[in-house]
Amino acid sequence: MAVGNAIESNGLTKRFGDFTAVDGLDLSVPKGSIFGLLGPNGSGKSTFIRMLCGVLRPTEGQATVNGFDVAGKPEDVKRSIGYMSQSFSLYRDLSAVENLQFFGGIYGLKGKELKERMDSVVELVGLQNYLVQPSGTLSGGWKQRLALAAALIHEPPLVFLDEPTAGIDPVARRLLWDLLFELAGKGKTLFVTTHYMDEAERCSEVGYIYLSKLMVKGTPNELKTLPEISPEGTRRLAISTEHPPQALQALKGRPYVRDATLVESDVHLLVDETTTDDEIRRDVEKADLKVTGMRVAEPSLEDVFVTLTRRLAKG
Amino acid sequence: MNGFISVLRKEFMHLRRDRTTLVIALLVPLIQMVLFGYAINFDVRHIQAVAVDQDNSRESRDYLQKLQASQYIDFIASVRTPDRAADMLRTGGARVAVTIPAGFARTMESGGNPQVGVMIDGSDAQVSLRARFAFVSPPSQPAPGVPQARINVLFNPDSKTVNFMIPGLLVVILQVVTVALTAFSVVREKEQGTLEQLMVTPVGRLALMLGKLVPYAALAMGEFVVVLFVGDIVFGVQPHGSLITLTLLSIPFIVASLALGLLISTVAQTQGQALQFTQLTLMPAILLSGYVSPRETMPGWLYIISTVMPATHFMQATRGVIVRGAGFFDLLPQFLTLCFIATVLIALSTARFRKSVE
Repeated sequence: MAVGNAIESNGLTKRFGDFTAVDGLDLSVPKGSIFGLLGPNGSGKSTFIRMLCGVLRPTEGQATVNGFDVAGKPEDVKRSIGYMSQSFSLYRDLSAVENLQFFGGIYGLKGKELKERMDSVVELVGLQNYLVQPSGTLSGGWKQRLALAAALIHEPPLVFLDEPTAGIDPVARRLLWDLLFELAGKGKTLFVTTHYMDEAERCSEVGYIYLSKLMVKGTPNELKTLPEISPEGTRRLAISTEHPPQALQALKGRPYVRDATLVESDVHLLVDETTTDDEIRRDVEKADLKVTGMRVAEPSLEDVFVTLTRRLAKG
Repeated sequence: MNGFISVLRKEFMHLRRDRTTLVIALLVPLIQMVLFGYAINFDVRHIQAVAVDQDNSRESRDYLQKLQASQYIDFIASVRTPDRAADMLRTGGARVAVTIPAGFARTMESGGNPQVGVMIDGSDAQVSLRARFAFVSPPSQPAPGVPQARINVLFNPDSKTVNFMIPGLLVVILQVVTVALTAFSVVREKEQGTLEQLMVTPVGRLALMLGKLVPYAALAMGEFVVVLFVGDIVFGVQPHGSLITLTLLSIPFIVASLALGLLISTVAQTQGQALQFTQLTLMPAILLSGYVSPRETMPGWLYIISTVMPATHFMQATRGVIVRGAGFFDLLPQFLTLCFIATVLIALSTARFRKSVE
């Protein structure tokens, strides 16, 4: 496995006038990993990525991407990264081949080398049958695969993917992630932003950015066992009942319930440790619903981010 | 009428949110009124004239004074020979030349009718028509001692409208094509997000800008050839001057128009807005450049606006070359002015373009 970090950011800050979009962000992403950046819209994700891509100059702090300083050598940074955005941003009136030729040309590829690179990325993403039609007429999944092919045309060791699966169907999503695993297996570093928790679970490391700051960072398992997520004096449990939405409503207002939500068809609760199972069962039955099972539940990544966001929003 | 009120209210909300469209929609009619009201005026007066007074007597000066008092023409210069005066007409320095021959006063005193040579630039039919009004048409048997003007229309002697409309059209078409296509090509990349994708690639700003502009410059040159060709074949308008001169003069104009398109693209966020802005530049180019109505009739402030527009100077250049057969050096002032305007526009638009892609 490759050694060293693909991304090193120290106190990276961007201000627009009085507004601080990214505030003192420290982050290191090891080579060959899939790093997932999560956070609500407007939290500073895009600004952070744009600084790492050498498009925006940081106001303060410093970052290196593939060993190049983002402020001092933005052109070297750009040459060494691939970028794929959430909305399809290739030329819709050009075919896949023409788009790939164009982007290859921008990176200085030509002749036999360009041809080889094109063949290689087309094969990787399986685009062989969609090469000549205008790319605007491709379906969402194929568009994203073409965008990935274009981002890989110059063999960058690091690829930024900004919500790559937004708006595509589950099968296409799965196929795209299979591709990402394949790339990571070949030693590429992937920096992904997403709002999907199941995608976050697939990352080797996850960071959570909120109100311009990086709040936590770690493997999904590390995050789930963070003390803030299951505070002292609380426990998590899952309750199976008939008609779970009604049961959820019945439990939500109880004083001992810290958090309640539905997962699959169970009610997941974060309750005071002192609360007994019987007490909860009684409250459900008061609403004329039968409890069919109760068990201890692990926090999900969603629990992690919801809990963190609420804690921070409260101040 | 299900939901009429809801749709109505929603439409008003759209209008209120899209400030640019609203402002343009309200502003354009106002601008149109002002332009049509002030710029279009065929009652041309104070036409620029040059005098060749070879008699230099009290009588000759009186005669010139009387012409000036008619208000149709204004003497702005005086030269020694009719040839020099004809040169000024060709370069566009003056539209009318009046030559008073030696012996003018003597002929007058002896009761004869002295002949005065008048040359009129016929390239603008409106102007040449009015210029004639300054010279009272002589009765078949003029009274003794009254000078007789012999009027000679130098260019476009038949006062054919096409002869001066086609060269003007060349300007308007070139400007529309260049400004619109350039503005659209950049705004489209903004709208579709491809500009964002380009920004994360190592493409150079200058390479991107020039790469985008050169094809449209080439297209504009193609359009230029087509208009000239159709003008010749269909309307029989043939350039009297050299095509090389015309091409040379068109270069700074096309560059200025490309820069104008680029400037629009930095302001407009959607292709719809780009279209509106393009139309905003088209109207003055038609109404203020002298294409429809002579600039001589415009009030001072409008005249100043028309002076900073590239179309005005290129209009003079195309009419100069096509109608009057003017050479490159005759039109050097127009060429230099166009180069200057182009430079300013390029500086302005590239500065804004750089900012907008950051």
